[in-house]
Amino acid sequence: MSEKEVYTTTVQSIASGGTGGEPTAVDSKDGKIVRIRPLHIDEKYTHEELADSMWELEVDGKKFRPEYKAAPNYMALAYKERVYSKNRVMKPLKRVDWEPGGDPATMNAANRGKSKFVEISWDEALDIMESEIKRVIDQYGPYSVLCIGEDGHRESKDLHAGGGMHMTAMNLLGGYTRETRTPDSVEGWYWGAKHFWGSGFNRGGGLIAPPQNGYSNYNVVKDVTENADLLVFDAGDWELTQNYASMFFSRLLKYWEEIGKEFVSVDPFCNYTAVCHKTFKWIPILPNTDAALDFGAMYVMITEGIYDKEYIDTHSIGFDKVADYVLGKEDGIPKTPEWASERCGIPPHTIKAYARNLCKKRASHVHYSSGSIKTPYSHEPGRTQAYLLAMQGMGKPGVQQLHLEATLVAKEKLAESSTRPFSLLNHCRMFYPSAQSLPRTAVAEAIRNGHVEWYGSPCIVYVPTDEQFKKFTYPGDPKMGLMMAQAMAQRAGLPVPTEEPRINPVHMLWSEKPCNMNCWNGGFEFQDAIRSDEVEFFVTNHQWMENDSLFADLVLPVTTCLEDDDTMGASMTVGMRWAGYTPHACDRVGVSKSDWEIALEVLDRFGKREELDLGMTTDQWLEYGFTNSHLTTEVDWDTLVEKGLYYPKLEENWRDELPGMRGFYEDPENFPLDTPSGKLEFYSQALADNFPDDKERQPIAKWITGGPAEEGWTHDESLWGERCKKYPLLVTANPARFRVHVQGDDIAWYREIETTKVKGPDGYLYEPVWMAPEDAEARGIKSGDIVKVYNERGIILTGARISQRITPGSVVVAKGSRVDPIAPHIDRGGAINLISPEATVSKNCKGFAVTGYLIEAEKLTQEEYDSWKKDYPEAFDRAYDAGQGITRDAWVVEA
Amino acid sequence: MKGFVIHAEKCMGCHACQIGCKDEHCGNCWMPYTQEQPESGQFWMKVNQKERGQRPQVKVSYIPVPCQHCENAPCIAAGKDGAVYRRDDGLVIIDPVKSKGQKQIVKSCPYGKIFWNEELDIPQKCTGCAHILDGDEPLKVPRCMDNCPVHVIEFGELDELDLEGTEVLHPEYGTKPHVYYTGLPKRFIAGTVFTPEDEEIVEGATITVTNGTDTYTDTTNSWGDFWIDELAEDEWTVTIEGAGKEKTLTVSTVEEDRGLGDIALV
Repeated sequence: MSEKEVYTTTVQSIASGGTGGEPTAVDSKDGKIVRIRPLHIDEKYTHEELADSMWELEVDGKKFRPEYKAAPNYMALAYKERVYSKNRVMKPLKRVDWEPGGDPATMNAANRGKSKFVEISWDEALDIMESEIKRVIDQYGPYSVLCIGEDGHRESKDLHAGGGMHMTAMNLLGGYTRETRTPDSVEGWYWGAKHFWGSGFNRGGGLIAPPQNGYSNYNVVKDVTENADLLVFDAGDWELTQNYASMFFSRLLKYWEEIGKEFVSVDPFCNYTAVCHKTFKWIPILPNTDAALDFGAMYVMITEGIYDKEYIDTHSIGFDKVADYVLGKEDGIPKTPEWASERCGIPPHTIKAYARNLCKKRASHVHYSSGSIKTPYSHEPGRTQAYLLAMQGMGKPGVQQLHLEATLVAKEKLAESSTRPFSLLNHCRMFYPSAQSLPRTAVAEAIRNGHVEWYGSPCIVYVPTDEQFKKFTYPGDPKMGLMMAQAMAQRAGLPVPTEEPRINPVHMLWSEKPCNMNCWNGGFEFQDAIRSDEVEFFVTNHQWMENDSLFADLVLPVTTCLEDDDTMGASMTVGMRWAGYTPHACDRVGVSKSDWEIALEVLDRFGKREELDLGMTTDQWLEYGFTNSHLTTEVDWDTLVEKGLYYPKLEENWRDELPGMRGFYEDPENFPLDTPSGKLEFYSQALADNFPDDKERQPIAKWITGGPAEEGWTHDESLWGERCKKYPLLVTANPARFRVHVQGDDIAWYREIETTKVKGPDGYLYEPVWMAPEDAEARGIKSGDIVKVYNERGIILTGARISQRITPGSVVVAKGSRVDPIAPHIDRGGAINLISPEATVSKNCKGFAVTGYLIEAEKLTQEEYDSWKKDYPEAFDRAYDAGQGITRDAWVVEA
Repeated sequence: MKGFVIHAEKCMGCHACQIGCKDEHCGNCWMPYTQEQPESGQFWMKVNQKERGQRPQVKVSYIPVPCQHCENAPCIAAGKDGAVYRRDDGLVIIDPVKSKGQKQIVKSCPYGKIFWNEELDIPQKCTGCAHILDGDEPLKVPRCMDNCPVHVIEFGELDELDLEGTEVLHPEYGTKPHVYYTGLPKRFIAGTVFTPEDEEIVEGATITVTNGTDTYTDTTNSWGDFWIDELAEDEWTVTIEGAGKEKTLTVSTVEEDRGLGDIALV
């Protein structure tokens, strides 16, 4: 690799979702980034050279094709702020009052999240890693190391990616407890719709996909473009959510507007997509009442006979049971539009119009992983929304589900699936079972209680529906662990183990994605668990000093994607997928190392480095990855290195590929679903057989509101229970406009945009709480006030933003603002997931419920503010940067 | 003469133009054109956002606004010793050396597009990325334009850009901006029409909006919705005819856009 050339331009994958994003040009000088901008791909290849890689759609003579100027996500364009953030971890950090050894007297576990850090050398940090891993293995066995952060959203890297390198390393050291990534973006589909229409994308994701294509969708965008009249956005905000990869969808929406599509957004918030497109109709709905709307619409469809009856007859089973429920024959309550209106807040006339528009037009549903799909009991709206699509004749021209996996336009010759990169070097151990595991949703519970039981792994993808009927326990059963290890060894052709693994509860936590408290459920409970003596050592690998790292004992500094020599590209959610050669764009910040390199350094201490890197250098690995991919049939390594990217050619007959669920629509016998019957199962016999007593998730979807725990309910998070008397507002906690989940909250250029933060009277930039004028007025809250958003789980501070964009009775606090602890269960940073329920989707569903739950909002009085300031002076005295907010300086002291 | 044409109707509020400006100028010094821009607080290019209407008829307008590079630039008059000058290509530049200490230049701009740099004691603003236009950089157009994924911003020779039907911001200031706009929002009146006795939307109702001089019409769609924009700030009579009924409302757009919500036709 060349050193410090004058004015180098490299091609980079900068997408915080981890899937690569559109190609981005980074201009650098003397080892420093000068600018980050969209790559003009025709500066790399001629139009003729690109012709066979570019698709074109046409409707009424109006054409749409990828542009020669790429469309990087707007987060990527601000990434210089991330690389050079004042919040970067420059050197390994050790908490001042923690000592290795597992002695509670020198751990000071209760001070996690409070006491500060000193910088130490890599030698010292690796000494600690080595001695603590050895100690934990000796004392408890390797399964007492919990590796947090399997898969999921992260920077886009290949060889250097985190999210499982610690598992790879620990696997070579004898084992580990797997923290399984739960179905975060697809909860309602995963726990609900999978029992209706089968496994879904990547064989398990729950959003619909044809099993016959290896559970990949192709040509859905083409079908929708050519055939749909109406696009219903029932959960999701494309203009915002696409930011995890690209801005291609802004272009697609513009084209759809040009060719006359009609759009409806059903959302508690007039979201960033609805608000900027003149063609969008906004239907405000109370959070987590979507199932009521859907039943009301089904009532109209059934009583007016406007749904696709023939399709239901030939493609489904059990519809009569759902129809009985909707018509009130089962429980005496007809789910009329008036009934629905009382629950969801949408006027009956709009519910009727909704039902008729869905049936009389060719309507597709767009889901982008927000709203009701992440709520308490999300399997109910997950199923009712699937029911609607079925009643419209799912798979018919223009009637599809357009979702995060179904966005690929056309299909490349080299495509192995709709989501797999063209080459893959990543060594993270992901989606492998382990003798002991924990769902990401149950880490706090496991540490607190020492025991957890649940059904399903429950891994987000690559697990069939019936996996949800298998019971798992923590601590793991050694007998089961041995059987699993034997089966895996046999499959891999390795020596078969004969000894049962030594399994104990976890006592060391190693996180490669330290944001559980802010991305997952029950954040304050997670903090409590981390503060206990059960956790003897908590180490994080991270680029920035934020969130879970504030509660760590050791923080290892990680490179950003612009500091590594890597081969990324893009595998999904872009206009055209590509393979990339992405060398470092700048010098490393501090003494950071990639997660791959950290794993190697740790293994080196155990004499096992070569078992992972096979004695190869980074450059050798990069070329090896390419050589072992199918890319070699179209391009050579030198060309890829020279150009920085390559666009694989399209299949010549890509237009003939059956779009989405067309095969099932046309020929359900030969294109069956992978449900037990091969058809859509309105009534799930499997659920009835396996969970006969589950009143929360019954064999058919119902209107479930929960209730008191003593009556056996998991949640009381609706406006029809007891808790709403104390906490009468429902919160919508979607991703923020100018973050990707928790990433990017330190970007000053975004923080200064007036809708991103609210400047309090104390000069602190608070996370906005968006409130309807009537709800604010009723509480004496004025624009700019500091507002306590709370329930019995704790308090977060926010800044009032009063807006017409909010459905009354609800508020919006976007997810992902960085935590800034004042005291246990009081946080100034406005991280909303801290007060989300720790209780999961429902009794037998260990997914998270992180939006659509109850809170109350109240103006923070000067008296209370002053008393906190007096009681917790260190929390208010932290260094604060006017642009970036809390930075590393707030947490690091001189040694 | 160079200038901008900004298509506000296409802007979806991603702020990539604003970020591109920051990325170009924060941490980078492009002397003699300009000094570094501070990390926060200055908006050489800013997306002005405004929430419009009332629930559920709500929109946000996003309008990217840079320095207007005015023909009669008040900042040139306000600067002493030639601190602010117009280049031959029409771009208005603040000389970062000569302008030191000249705080009056900030106040001279009626558009509020000049910012004071406390640390360096100089006024600063958009240069039209003149250093890129003149220099040997790997791109040839201003960063705001290059960053926009949906072609909201055009920059070039004004006699080569299509100025047909464009407007300028605040023509009453009389500064003759070289930044032209299409799609600047006017007022809207919108609503959903329904009949309360049967709780049904009314499709095909005729909506007439008039102020006596100008008259606009629309027909409600399959959601019972109408949406009339391009209205002036005025008092309007809105007549709704449908389902054999007629209703007349008086609606003012003087202060704001009007989302009338669900309108019962009785």
